[in-house]
Amino acid sequence: MLCALAAIPVLIAVAVRVSSAVPPGRGPAFLDRIAQNGLFVGVTAMVVSVPLFLPLTVGVVAGDTIAGEAGLGTLRYLLVAPAGRIRLLIVKYAGTALFVLVAPLVVALTGAGIGAALFPVGPVTLLSGDTIEPGEAVVRLLLIAAYLAVSLLGLSAIGLFISTLTDVPVGAMAATVVLSVVAQVLDALPQLGSLHPWLFSHYWLDFGDLLRQPVSWDAFAGNAVLQGGYIAVFGALAYCRFITKDVLS
Amino acid sequence: MTRKWLRWLPAVAVPAVIAAGALAGSLPASAGDPLPTKTPEQVLQLIAQHRTPALSGTLEQSSELGLPELPKTGTGPDSSSTAWLELLTGPHTARVYRDGPDNARIQVMDRLAERNAVRHGNEVWFYNSKDNTASHLQLPANPAGAANHRGDGRDATATPDQLATMLLAKIEPGTDVTVGADVQVAGRAAYNLVLTPKSDATLVGSIAVAVDGQTGLPLGVEIKARGQADPAFRVTYTSLTLGAPDASVFTFSPPPGATVQEIPVPEHKRGNDAGNAAAPAAKDSARKPAVTGSGWDSVVEFPAGTAGPASDAKAPALLEQATVPVQGGRLLSTALVNVLVLDDGRVVAGSVPLERLQAAAAQK
Repeated sequence: MLCALAAIPVLIAVAVRVSSAVPPGRGPAFLDRIAQNGLFVGVTAMVVSVPLFLPLTVGVVAGDTIAGEAGLGTLRYLLVAPAGRIRLLIVKYAGTALFVLVAPLVVALTGAGIGAALFPVGPVTLLSGDTIEPGEAVVRLLLIAAYLAVSLLGLSAIGLFISTLTDVPVGAMAATVVLSVVAQVLDALPQLGSLHPWLFSHYWLDFGDLLRQPVSWDAFAGNAVLQGGYIAVFGALAYCRFITKDVLS
Repeated sequence: MTRKWLRWLPAVAVPAVIAAGALAGSLPASAGDPLPTKTPEQVLQLIAQHRTPALSGTLEQSSELGLPELPKTGTGPDSSSTAWLELLTGPHTARVYRDGPDNARIQVMDRLAERNAVRHGNEVWFYNSKDNTASHLQLPANPAGAANHRGDGRDATATPDQLATMLLAKIEPGTDVTVGADVQVAGRAAYNLVLTPKSDATLVGSIAVAVDGQTGLPLGVEIKARGQADPAFRVTYTSLTLGAPDASVFTFSPPPGATVQEIPVPEHKRGNDAGNAAAPAAKDSARKPAVTGSGWDSVVEFPAGTAGPASDAKAPALLEQATVPVQGGRLLSTALVNVLVLDDGRVVAGSVPLERLQAAAAQK
């Protein structure tokens, strides 16, 4: 799955390389900057993968945690070991969190790498019109990857909870992915404005705040608090469901 | 059985704690009138004596004008013909930096994009990250009314002090001016100056200006329409730090690869300058708009072909969508202003109900 994610920036870079110049203001954000500066491949790839590809992979990993073991019939053997259900749940979530941390990093670094190979690398223009050195730009790129990792933690907690509900891993994966899409659709409807700050996907595309000069940390903080809330609620739900569950498989 | 249900307790407790926390956070912090009582005149004086300080802060602007809100799909392109409409509908956040009268920067923060206006000495730059274009304006050496230029054209989010100065200049016998209960804006105690039109004919319900109790700096403006609970337009600081921002904020040079455009220096200030927006657009045209009535319920009539947006090339399609047909023309109705485009090309506008516009149009 990490390879599939890494293919996104490669595809973008190759497509821009072989096609003619992209007029500004068309296509995903920053696409027109790639030809001038390869580092933007990483940013563009993250913009492209946030709405679907990253939630998709996270949904697959998080949905598989408990339901996958149950589906294979290995869950009861895991619970026979004197480790306890709580510990199993925590380890499973930690595994998901590790994937969530690595996935955007892979997109960012592959993007920066392929961009540096195919296009010139120079000072990076920020959204504010200021320019920074490539070294600092890589730091910003890593910051965005960290931002996306935090953003997806809430979704992975939801996936963990759904995974405790069922023995069919595919169902848990699909439900998690569908939830992420539904949340984004709701977030796009202005009529539901009062609901927006509570949607876990609300801050997903606000990582542009890290590309301003000076950096605006408001979205980062708001996002961290929101995702923490989702982890607490769905972590508690998963815990309650899992310790009361009759494990038959 | 009860034991099993007891084990679900954490799943109930955690959301309850979060909900309680969110509720406690959203309750308005009671200011408890910490400021000494002042009359409206004294508050006005407080505003008048405030000097442009050095500050950095975040502004939030929102409008409930009754115009259809366009969904923000985030990364999509934005055509410039709808950009001005977009500024009137959705909410916006902007960061403001000021240091003395000659250094200013405003950053309108859009999703994955940003619009900048920077002033450093006599150099003014506009930058739009969406299409990577920069425009440069060299101000004349002796700038008259220098502080106004930040609100010029491109960035439609005006700072509260510009708006307040503009509105307070309009105070006249037709307005009740009172000082309401103190409010908290951006963590600062502020006087709440409330202007209420005496006339019943206007659509404007009330205008509230939050004035910082210490410095006299206007911190927020809220315009309410008659019979509408939410403010029709508000711009307010959500965070504010007094003191000079980092000097590097004000230095701007166009990034490599950007399209740079030179704007010719206007000889005299245009009508859409923030300073005298009360008399819009057609000021320097030979055919001046006719004003009937006075005060809040005055009606402005533009002769055919002079009014700005209505005679724009792209406008007809947009106009068709935003307006409704009424007797004698088409009506663009918002919570604060009604604009009647007559069939013969004249445009009648005012902060009054439709009947008054039609009556004013019929007089000619």
